[in-house]
Amino acid sequence: MDVTDEELVRLFPGHPLTHDNKAAYRGRLNRLLLVNRCATCRRWHEPPKPVCPACWSTDVVPTPVAGTGTIFMAIFLHQGPPAEGVDYATPYPVVTVELDEQEGVRFTTTVVGAPNDEIRIGRRVRLDWATRGGAPMPVFRLSEGER
Amino acid sequence: MIGRRNPVKDKVAFANAATTGFTPHNTDRSALSLVTEACIAVLRDLGMTASDVDGICGSIPSAPQVQSALGIPDVTWFANPLVPFVNQLTAAVAAVHAGFCDVVLAYHAAYRLPWNTAGALKDPFRRGQALSSGPSVGPGPESVVAAVGYTAWASRYFHEYGAGREDLALIAINARSNAARNPAAAMRDPITMEDYLAARMIRWPLCLLDMDVPVDGADAFVITTAERARDLPYRPVLVHAATLGIVDHNEEDQSPSLHRHGQHVVVEALRARSDFWIDACDVYFPYDGFSIIALNWFENAGWCDPGEAGAFLRDNWDPVTNRVLIGGRVPVNPHGGALSEGGTQGSGHIREAVLQLQGRAGDRQVPGAETAIVTAGGFFFNAQGVVLRVG
Repeated sequence: MDVTDEELVRLFPGHPLTHDNKAAYRGRLNRLLLVNRCATCRRWHEPPKPVCPACWSTDVVPTPVAGTGTIFMAIFLHQGPPAEGVDYATPYPVVTVELDEQEGVRFTTTVVGAPNDEIRIGRRVRLDWATRGGAPMPVFRLSEGER
Repeated sequence: MIGRRNPVKDKVAFANAATTGFTPHNTDRSALSLVTEACIAVLRDLGMTASDVDGICGSIPSAPQVQSALGIPDVTWFANPLVPFVNQLTAAVAAVHAGFCDVVLAYHAAYRLPWNTAGALKDPFRRGQALSSGPSVGPGPESVVAAVGYTAWASRYFHEYGAGREDLALIAINARSNAARNPAAAMRDPITMEDYLAARMIRWPLCLLDMDVPVDGADAFVITTAERARDLPYRPVLVHAATLGIVDHNEEDQSPSLHRHGQHVVVEALRARSDFWIDACDVYFPYDGFSIIALNWFENAGWCDPGEAGAFLRDNWDPVTNRVLIGGRVPVNPHGGALSEGGTQGSGHIREAVLQLQGRAGDRQVPGAETAIVTAGGFFFNAQGVVLRVG
């Protein structure tokens, strides 16, 4: 889906969109989780930066990730900002997932389709998509297995 | 690369510290009103007037606003770094040492604002005010930026070490027991383990009592050369070593691990620059804006091994006063910390350290205290510390 910068900002109200992360948000519209990867040294980094922190190359490419990873941190919000589809009566899970692409490269969002007592650090997850305000939102689902 | 060079060692001193005291309610006052009260107190107490000040350094309100309100005639240096307060301290100490100014009036307003409490919104004059241009909160709840980051790392701490809420509780209970002896503190009623475990969960695993108290109040300090401070009424408190600490991946969810974040840089730098460390520390101040931060400081400062802070606190618990006394001697955040005196973003810890080393801490006085270590700030972009000793 091709959209103008104006349209992109309109589709993600409240998100901190910049010239550095606009490609990642465009990826969301196509249900692709894009993470910056350096074309020179092949290292990944997150969140998107205009330069590779490992080698200072500016040839960083927003690249689709496999969408698999392991839960690194897991919390449950008993209260929080109002959001479509979020009811804090059941504490709302927020997880930071270490992506399989590279140690220490992580992505934070929620887990859907699982009871809270199953959402634990070490559980394997895979990427899925929900919608928020009409725009695709990356989420995770539990996979079999732990690491 | 962490250097050992420390030419400012013992050259600059705190001459005085003062506070308005703190309340966990919206006052009918501005941050400027609170700051000017503390600033006037800290200067008058030294016999100083506005014209003795030639440097100003604080958080909010801006230094020019404070200068104008206090009628300080001529200022040759001023700055408004972000909190926590060792940012103000390092800037002021460097400015005095460099000769940009001789006498810095340093201040911090702890002010209830929408970023730290929704209760601030009840005051129409506080709506829309921000503490700083710090990290913005996310657009929805699917984020661990800002305050939520410590909750996330608390979950990781539990996972790696098998720790639990009973370990975090000791930080909160210690703070409250200490605050009972501090008339400036916002929360002075003692709490028990049962109270802690029954407290309202905010974001598991952290509950209300793991988070600092949004307060109204202000601290103020006079920072000058050690030489000048010796001519003033109170014993000079020398800035022996100070540092900020930050690592490359400093976003809340990208920080490398519990074994490498800003606190590790702080400890390495302070140990390299200071002539002494915790073995010679008379009063210890681990920042406790969130309980997990303080727990981690105990380990990273070297009081105990990683993952053993809970056991360390239990081993050093004084049942008579229901608080930590390391080795039966060294109290921890004797003013009550951010968790009970109030969320002062570190200024309360430093003010109490100054008063303790000047022998002016009232019922909380540590007999013969000559050294204090303040390890302020959290994990990501604001870890920092200072080693103080009497002059």
